[in-house]
Amino acid sequence: MPIRKFRSIEEMDAYTWRQPGDPELYRAIAFTWELARQTNPRHFEPGVHKYRSIDEMNRADDERLREHIAARRKTLPQPGTDR
Amino acid sequence: MDFDVLKRVLAALEARGVRYAVFGAVALNLHGLARSTEDLDLFVEPEASNIERLRMALHDAIDDPDIDGITAEDLLGDYPAIQYVPPGGGFHLDILTRLGDAFRFEDLETERVGYGDLIVTAVTPRMLYRMKRDTVRPKDRADAAALRQHFDIDE
Repeated sequence: MPIRKFRSIEEMDAYTWRQPGDPELYRAIAFTWELARQTNPRHFEPGVHKYRSIDEMNRADDERLREHIAARRKTLPQPGTDR
Repeated sequence: MDFDVLKRVLAALEARGVRYAVFGAVALNLHGLARSTEDLDLFVEPEASNIERLRMALHDAIDDPDIDGITAEDLLGDYPAIQYVPPGGGFHLDILTRLGDAFRFEDLETERVGYGDLIVTAVTPRMLYRMKRDTVRPKDRADAAALRQHFDIDE
């Protein structure tokens, strides 16, 4: 990939849209998902979980995300300790 | 989310003739924005025969007896939102037959879009924008803004 230059961090962070059907889009999707899986692996409880509404399901998702973040923070080195 | 597992699931939905529409972050990816996600959002037609086809398709794609717990009785009754986590627990499928009072399956604007060498059904960018714009989640609002800007969507 060639070097790309940006005039600001905002420009650098702008969403990169690709044309549906472009093989580069599917390479980017696969790369993005694999990167997320490697750097921030999640584990969900296998099985079928039932909710009375999408709001109820979203609240459960949000709660699991909070628990995930809290668990990950516990694995980080504490301030004042050697890395 | 695993690119190949998702492809296997979507191919099975197509092969079994399931009436469905992908929405959420996977739809955003299909429309051109590569973005991380941990779930596949599926809106499915609320018909018992369609739920049966959905269950068969999932059995085709994933070896898991728990799939039998996805029933028309629930999806057409008190539980219009079912989250299915396959063995391994790395991602989930969110299966909906109703989305509040705002969206019904028959009202969804959909189109056929590519996913690698597969063609699947997803809600249109405009529909996705409408589904995301009114939510309270910051990530959904950011997605809505990006959709509006890229696809030049009017309010």
